[in-house]
Amino acid sequence: MKYKADAVTMQVIRYALEAVADDMGYNLMRMGRTTIVKEIMDINCGVLAADGGILAQAHLCPLMIFSLPETAANMIRQVEKFNDGDIIISNDPYLGGQHLLDVQLFSPVIIEDKPIAFVANIAHQLDMGGAVPGGVAGGLTEIYQEGLRIPFVKLYQKGEEDPQIFSFISNNIRIPEKTMEDIRAQAATTMIGVERIKALVLKYGQDVFLKCTSMLNQYSEKKVRAFIESVPDGDYTGIDYLDDDGIVDTPVKIQLNVHIRGDEMAVDFDGSSPQTKGNVNCPWSCTKGGVFYTMVGIVDPYMALNSGTFAPIKVSSKKGLVTNPNLPAGVTARSQTMTKIVEAMLRAMSGVVPDRIVAGSHGQACTNNFSGIHPETNKRFSYIEIQGGGGGARPDKDGPDGQDLHLGRFMNTPVEAAEIEYPVMIERYEFIKDSGGAGKYRGGVSTRRDIRFLTDVTWARYSDRQKFKPLGIFGGKDGSTSSLILNPGTSEEQKCKSKGVDQIKAGDLLSICLPGSGGYGPPEERQLQAVQADVIAGKISVQSALEDYKVVLDENLNIDKTATDFLRSKKEALHEA
Amino acid sequence: MKTFRIGVDVGGTFTDVVMVNELTGEFHYTKTPTTHDDLTEGVLKGLDEILQIGNVEMKDIDYIIHGTTIGTNAIIEGKGALVGLITTAGFEDVLEIRRVARPQEAAFDFSCDNPAPLVPRHLRKGVIERVNSKGEIHTPLDEASVLSVIQVFKENHVDAIVISLLFSFLNQTHEKRIKEICKKELPGVSVSISSEICPEFREYERTCTTVMNGYLGPVIKEYMDKLIDCLKSKYGEVTLHIIQSSGGTMAAHVAGDYAAHLINSGPAGGAIATAFISTLTKNEMAIGADMGGTTFDISIIDKNMPKTTTWGGVSNYPIKLPMVDLKTIGAGGGSIAWVDVAGALNVGPESAGSNPGPACYGWGGEKPTVSDCNLALGRLNPEFFLGGKLPLYPEKAHSAIKNYIADKMDISVEGAAIGVLRIVNANMAKGISRNSVERGYDLREFSLVAMGGAAALHAVDIARDLGMARVIVPSMSGNFSAVGFVVADIQHDYVKTFMKKDHEVIPEEFLQAFLEMEKDALLQMENEKVSVQNIELTWSADLRYEGQSWELNAPIELSKKVDVDYIKKIAQDFHQLHQTVYSYSEPMETVEFVNLRVRAKGKNRPITFSSEKTQITPENSYLKGKRNVYFEHTGWEMIPVFDRYQLPEKERIVGPAIIEEAISTTLIPPDSSGVMDEFGNIIIEFETEND
Repeated sequence: MKYKADAVTMQVIRYALEAVADDMGYNLMRMGRTTIVKEIMDINCGVLAADGGILAQAHLCPLMIFSLPETAANMIRQVEKFNDGDIIISNDPYLGGQHLLDVQLFSPVIIEDKPIAFVANIAHQLDMGGAVPGGVAGGLTEIYQEGLRIPFVKLYQKGEEDPQIFSFISNNIRIPEKTMEDIRAQAATTMIGVERIKALVLKYGQDVFLKCTSMLNQYSEKKVRAFIESVPDGDYTGIDYLDDDGIVDTPVKIQLNVHIRGDEMAVDFDGSSPQTKGNVNCPWSCTKGGVFYTMVGIVDPYMALNSGTFAPIKVSSKKGLVTNPNLPAGVTARSQTMTKIVEAMLRAMSGVVPDRIVAGSHGQACTNNFSGIHPETNKRFSYIEIQGGGGGARPDKDGPDGQDLHLGRFMNTPVEAAEIEYPVMIERYEFIKDSGGAGKYRGGVSTRRDIRFLTDVTWARYSDRQKFKPLGIFGGKDGSTSSLILNPGTSEEQKCKSKGVDQIKAGDLLSICLPGSGGYGPPEERQLQAVQADVIAGKISVQSALEDYKVVLDENLNIDKTATDFLRSKKEALHEA
Repeated sequence: MKTFRIGVDVGGTFTDVVMVNELTGEFHYTKTPTTHDDLTEGVLKGLDEILQIGNVEMKDIDYIIHGTTIGTNAIIEGKGALVGLITTAGFEDVLEIRRVARPQEAAFDFSCDNPAPLVPRHLRKGVIERVNSKGEIHTPLDEASVLSVIQVFKENHVDAIVISLLFSFLNQTHEKRIKEICKKELPGVSVSISSEICPEFREYERTCTTVMNGYLGPVIKEYMDKLIDCLKSKYGEVTLHIIQSSGGTMAAHVAGDYAAHLINSGPAGGAIATAFISTLTKNEMAIGADMGGTTFDISIIDKNMPKTTTWGGVSNYPIKLPMVDLKTIGAGGGSIAWVDVAGALNVGPESAGSNPGPACYGWGGEKPTVSDCNLALGRLNPEFFLGGKLPLYPEKAHSAIKNYIADKMDISVEGAAIGVLRIVNANMAKGISRNSVERGYDLREFSLVAMGGAAALHAVDIARDLGMARVIVPSMSGNFSAVGFVVADIQHDYVKTFMKKDHEVIPEEFLQAFLEMEKDALLQMENEKVSVQNIELTWSADLRYEGQSWELNAPIELSKKVDVDYIKKIAQDFHQLHQTVYSYSEPMETVEFVNLRVRAKGKNRPITFSSEKTQITPENSYLKGKRNVYFEHTGWEMIPVFDRYQLPEKERIVGPAIIEEAISTTLIPPDSSGVMDEFGNIIIEFETEND
């Protein structure tokens, strides 16, 4: 053999595996048809070991990767024989998947008649059937309303697509011509991946390939174990809440408990709410994903992600909790819960590594869908609007203003793109003053977008944080709540709930305000110039400078040093007393 | 007769100069240190040297083409102009909200941020006005609100004003009126308006691009004025052109008005030169790989044309203007190799740059770099680096590799050095693979063109790993960007957002839009003294299927007569293009005409490399000697070292061998062989790995 299984070959194989995963991702984006695949990039691709563990992933939507190994492990138990050219499909949250819209495909890399690895991808599809077009609806109560649930079936056998399965699926979904083509693109992508992995195995030999991939797992595991070992043993808890589940108007509690012992960590959800009637339940792989995402960010955001990375972190949840629901709980709006799991995990870890965590971020996904008939074309339109809120303040700097969320990277819809396409006029798109929690480092401020409707529309949405604020940390204050207000400042002003479906009349204006984020450290420790700069930049008010930060500014926004010193020293004296 | 052209590329370390005789294709070149305190000094010194080397005078020079990174540097160092931005009231924060997305590389990194906006909030001011999505005035301009904004700008002494209003690309009235008022109230302050700089939809990208123009305009203008003055006082009247990020040139005296077009001008030259070589050697599909001290720049040449994009940018600021599509990864000769806590060997992204530089430079660097490994394995010649201008210290390279890698991993220094090279090669291969797959290319059809001082040491290993067809190490590969400058044409791009579905397009309107852009183009060409017979106009359109929101740029045929069939033909061609790029098409779908574009070129006299070659000479005249070089599978081996300048045409050099020249070193590894073609390029062929 030309190359030995050594530390260098291990790294070279790691790059090669990452290249295969990334190239699969680019192929999928290139061949995909829907905006969700092509622009929002709600997809990911991975190379998996023979046991289903991750070997490498593409640099795409972080939250999507974690269901692949979970689903693959179930698949390997259930599927009797893998043949060259087989492609297995599944979207079942109860078999390791995300929500039903996220369709996963797996293809074995067969060498000498047995699978040496798998390639896999996952993509958010436009529609998988169910009660509501497009599927992104809160307020459903059973998974049966949410769409078609596909068990492990071979969509392709030995390279040939199975027409019966294709027609079975396409009969049960809306706009099948687009979605089935996207699924075909997913399939084509796995076939390319399989060939690339085969070439890699041929180049290095099966033995070197397997040894190096196992070395890679050990390498990542060692890195994470070294980190856990370096922090003190102990038990830590983080708690956050959802306002409601979209059906029952009571808060949903997420309690996350971390137990650190030596070089291992255990995470459980004892104390969390039972599974809910509304569909904010978090499928098991998503719950684990929230924990893993946070740990990668804390340990080393650029490390190789593989099954070794997660081996020292044991995540468990009692069945029947919102974090590990039983059939037939609905799960579509899981992103509201997943984001809270990240928040609770960060909060729990704040007691362990205060300089590696961030304060509470907006921690929800404000997804609005407006549909109606365009008055000029008489055609149905469907306008999805998703916005950025405040990012949590950090140990050494402010939180990012107006940003996407933990777990997912997405883009807004430009004002001009929305108005060209849909009968709306956007009257305002700006930061919200004082929405970021005060702190030594300020929480990120959030955004407000005011949309006037030029025709009647149906408005479906799920969001959160109208009641429970993003949390400040180490003396930092909480961020602002969110709001959805129709016709603000008029006699017809109406506050709307975070989840649900309503009608909006032509001429109405909807103001979408996202939550800000929590601050880090006591506000009175913030540098005076930073407070002044925030006032000049319109991110905080003069009043907040005075009340939250104890900084006195004159009418020209100059710092009144004497008055400020007096106020701040009074505060200190109070502390000491 | 003015028959010479000079290209000057001011880089981070060196100012590269090349001169070509337009009639014979004979080239001369030199390198001189970049003078950071005053860049013009190094430029003038370089010009002096090249005139001496070629034994010509400035009066023989047709024109000079200049490329500089001062735009990029001003952005990185935050040293642009103080800009005041005027927006539609209620949208002052669009520049800072951006598209809400985190940087792509920051999927798991809580600390990673987008760069700060180039205009602070207190200088971003709204005025009362509104144009709607049909281009109609919904709210008339309130001029009092404009005057109060100008008052703020006066108090803050802004250097430049940028105006970017919603839907101005459909109706310029308000932007133009505000510009008039600004010119009157603040004479001498430059004003950039978005409907002129970037008349396309998507308010964030348009605003950011226009802000970039205002931010860099005064900086670029000051530099250009100074350089023009210096040249004038030293040489009299000289024609100076600037290379743009699109790969075309423009007259220097207009550069200040088009500052946003000048961002990546140096690397763009590399892509133009790669395209030039691909044409010359008849390899129409090529990847340009430029490996410098800290970065590895990748460009793609498709049918002899560099790929361009309108979705590029700099330092995570988008610039929505046509530019050569360059991808950069953090891998170069100065990339530092290190062993992490869990014992794995890594290379980069940290670089020793030129300060302290690789350990072997002896400038105080202690950590091992890629260059140190090349030296330790005998691939670089310590006595002939930059033709001997810079002595290298093999013992310093050796001890850096030993201390930081070999001892930590308990392996030999050779094993460590070869490991570093394999890892950096894998990283570069990954970058090339990603950027070609993303665009739907099959690398087996491509040649790898290796440029920059270091690329030719790595190129064959990378190309072999990727299954590419061959490697080309072009003549003057170490001054390659400047070669691109002298073969470039004058070029200006015009765009108009059209936003019509195919069945709604009114042919007269469509034609009118193109004719208006052509009028602007011809005016500009006249301004830059291009004679009419040398002007080449091309049309294209950004098209998409209804419901998509990324467009594909499709070339379309110029026509004086546009009718319904002509529009239909464009839509049909689009289905074909979509099939090629995205591997599917939907002939029944509505096609949307998003933007219309005109590219105007002022064609220069075409250049070719002279094919005059040395006579067949005995081997001892080009064999410099032998030296010990280390290879992965065979260990140390005495291999021949050839002098590139003496190498005869068509002589096949069988690997392992080394070909040296002053500014670069080419490695012909085992199982490969290189031939010098009639233009002085080395073409390397090899056996693929799985043969």
